[in-house]
Amino acid sequence: MRPPGSGSQHVKTIMLVDDSATVLLSISGILAKAGFQVVTASSAEDGQKKLAAGTKPDLLITDLNMPGMNGIEFIKVVRQRAELRFMPILFLTTESQQSKRAEAKAAGASGWIVKPATADTLLNTIKLVLR
Amino acid sequence: MDELKQVFLQESNEQLDALEALLLELEARPDDETTLNGIFRAAHTIKGAAGMVECAAVESFAHVVENVLDRLRNHEIAVSTELAALMLACTDQLRVLVADEAGVADVAAEEIQARTAALLARLGEYGPAAVGGQVSASPKASEPGVQRIPARHAGHTCWHISVRFGPDVLRQGMDPENFLRFLETVGNIRHIETLADGMPAAEAMDPELCYLGFEIALESAADKQAIEDVFAFVRDECRLAILPPDSKVGDYLKLIDSLPEDSLRLGEILVRVGALTADELAEGLRAQATPASADSAPEGTPIGEILVARQVVQPEIVAAAVAKQTQVSEKKAHDAKLIRVPADKLDHLINLVGELVIAGAATSLLAHTRRDGELIESSSLLTRLVEEIRDASLQLRTVQIGETFNRFQRLVRDACKDLGKDVELVISGGETELDKSIVEKIGDPLMHLVRNSLDHGIEAPAVREAAGKSPRGTLSLNAYHDAGNIVIEVADDGAGLNRERILAKAVERGLVEPDVHLSDREVYDLIFAPGLSTAEQVTNLSGRGVGMDVVRRNLQALRGTINVDSHPGQGTRLTLRLPLTLAIIDGFLVVSANRSYVIPLDAVVECIERPVTEHDRNYFNLRGQVLPAVCLRESFKLPGERPARESVVVVQYAGQRAGIVVDRLAGELQAVIKPLGAIFRHLQGIGGSTILGSGEVALILDISALIKISGQAEQRLLARPEQRNA
Repeated sequence: MRPPGSGSQHVKTIMLVDDSATVLLSISGILAKAGFQVVTASSAEDGQKKLAAGTKPDLLITDLNMPGMNGIEFIKVVRQRAELRFMPILFLTTESQQSKRAEAKAAGASGWIVKPATADTLLNTIKLVLR
Repeated sequence: MDELKQVFLQESNEQLDALEALLLELEARPDDETTLNGIFRAAHTIKGAAGMVECAAVESFAHVVENVLDRLRNHEIAVSTELAALMLACTDQLRVLVADEAGVADVAAEEIQARTAALLARLGEYGPAAVGGQVSASPKASEPGVQRIPARHAGHTCWHISVRFGPDVLRQGMDPENFLRFLETVGNIRHIETLADGMPAAEAMDPELCYLGFEIALESAADKQAIEDVFAFVRDECRLAILPPDSKVGDYLKLIDSLPEDSLRLGEILVRVGALTADELAEGLRAQATPASADSAPEGTPIGEILVARQVVQPEIVAAAVAKQTQVSEKKAHDAKLIRVPADKLDHLINLVGELVIAGAATSLLAHTRRDGELIESSSLLTRLVEEIRDASLQLRTVQIGETFNRFQRLVRDACKDLGKDVELVISGGETELDKSIVEKIGDPLMHLVRNSLDHGIEAPAVREAAGKSPRGTLSLNAYHDAGNIVIEVADDGAGLNRERILAKAVERGLVEPDVHLSDREVYDLIFAPGLSTAEQVTNLSGRGVGMDVVRRNLQALRGTINVDSHPGQGTRLTLRLPLTLAIIDGFLVVSANRSYVIPLDAVVECIERPVTEHDRNYFNLRGQVLPAVCLRESFKLPGERPARESVVVVQYAGQRAGIVVDRLAGELQAVIKPLGAIFRHLQGIGGSTILGSGEVALILDISALIKISGQAEQRLLARPEQRNA
């Protein structure tokens, strides 16, 4: 399957940040199968380090509730990087966390994915935000 | 089991351990926000992970637990001992559910369901969310108050979408063009008009802001919700109106009114888009000009109301979000950067490193025999580096013992409640590291020792007070490194061991002669003898048939030792010594019939020569002491002639001494232990194998088994003296 929304031959890179190994493994599996290149990070700090090391994702997907730096702070920090100001950012959330959505959007997030998401929902949402 | 499942199981168990530890912490400090948040997050992570692997049983149960925890976190309900106990019970149940998912639950399926139901009922008392325990695993987003309007296929099938993006849409990483592209997946865009009326003059324009809007005619069979969902991410910031096919003219007029652009211009656009005809527009605008007739035109009210409701709903969500924004800072990341590596990969690495060590030693030996200065120099540098690599790679397998220690918090708490005692568990040295395989095997012996201390060591509060001690007993767990070993201490300030009772029992069991005089240490050591239990009654905790002898045997299997130190009325201290790793041992290489064998160095006491005159005896004389002799040639039925001069390696194990008779001695070496395959499991006297620098395989001798075999052989001979004479 061709990565959704990719006009060129360029393989889109998605960075996935979540402290749950299960979530990392399952979502990165879906993304990789759909033809994306996936960079995973197990914490916001880890993600920051990878971004600082030169990873330039086309899309960032991050969890909100993580130990250490939480997802909202992380989104704010990412948005401060000049080269990532317009990168789409999706955050993972649950039905019970609706109130967090506005907060995350105010921090600069583009949209959200409700956990647990089916592969279809996930890829559709990505298609919506990925340039 | 697939990889994802395995990761899920491991992660859930880690989170459950954390949850349990935090819950215990919560009992001590009920108001601590950090603890509360940590507890919530652990439950949340388990739920999320369970959702990912479609484990509905865990997910739905964790969801209910999470709801109660959420109320707790928001101070809607208070922390109480009952609630903490219930949460601990829920943690246990989650463990069972996770184990069930892995197919390793030791509880029957009906029993699991019954327990879940019982816990859900109890949870129901704490939160409205848990009532009935009905949770849908992934509820579909449907907001109240919004009526779904189905598409109508007859006639005019174009929806009209009017959207003005918020200025920040680009800064939030969204591209307005994407919405158009995505709308194409819902239907066909029949006509589109781009509105840039909001665009200021060039000098006032911020290129990072979005000033655009669209009027779209979308041909689609989708329902309103589906179309609205396309704009879900920007709905809070944009003006969005969706008019179904066949909407009344009045609705379009209301739309025109509500939009910022000039009405006439908009009207023209709607005509161009095809939503209205020129006549309809003209008529509508005329009607609007005369307010009376506008009031008297009730057409299409329901849709209009929905439209209004649509735009009213959103601010509430925002307000709720702001109210919740005061989130306390999260617990500091203690496990910041971890890489998960399968244990067998590490084992393989350690194996290779071990072989490297041996090969390095062989090279160094060669260099010395050649007397080549430069070669010696470079090989010694190599040896040093190899040793560093060895230490670093052994370090990879080490884990902190703290996690094992922390598990006892729960045990102590529960046991205190059962026994009516008050005991504080003091943990120190939790950061001490040791090999993971040892940590896994040390848990059971440690648990036995802790139970013993709780049950028999520490007295009931009343007894303690009568003895002039604080009613609250102390049980301490400590760990530290000492000379290449790890030392674990389990100490209590209880009554201490009862010398007389142990001695009486030992005499009764025939373990010691009644008139023998023993030192305190020798008496205390008797508690490790099989069949000696000083407890008067068997309680729920200890004395369930696993005695201290089993503890000692388990430790010896890990090449460890245990010592006991006790003072009447002051307490008992058990000291466990363990090697840092099981993978590499210091060994002593011996040769019989040109085959190499390794004896663990810590078992070796001394080596002596054996005169040829003693060849036929199965005992030998060590400075006046008669010891059994085990001849490897005989035990393993090795071929060939015995050499004129044999050597005896005197070994000691569990207080017993014996001599191993071998052809010759070949010195010390470091041996990387390689377990033998399953088909060799029945072999007695061999504990494993290793590969020598020369590539030759050497068997590692199991000293305890060899000693036992020689003892049995002796007894058989004694039982049938005629064979001995034959």
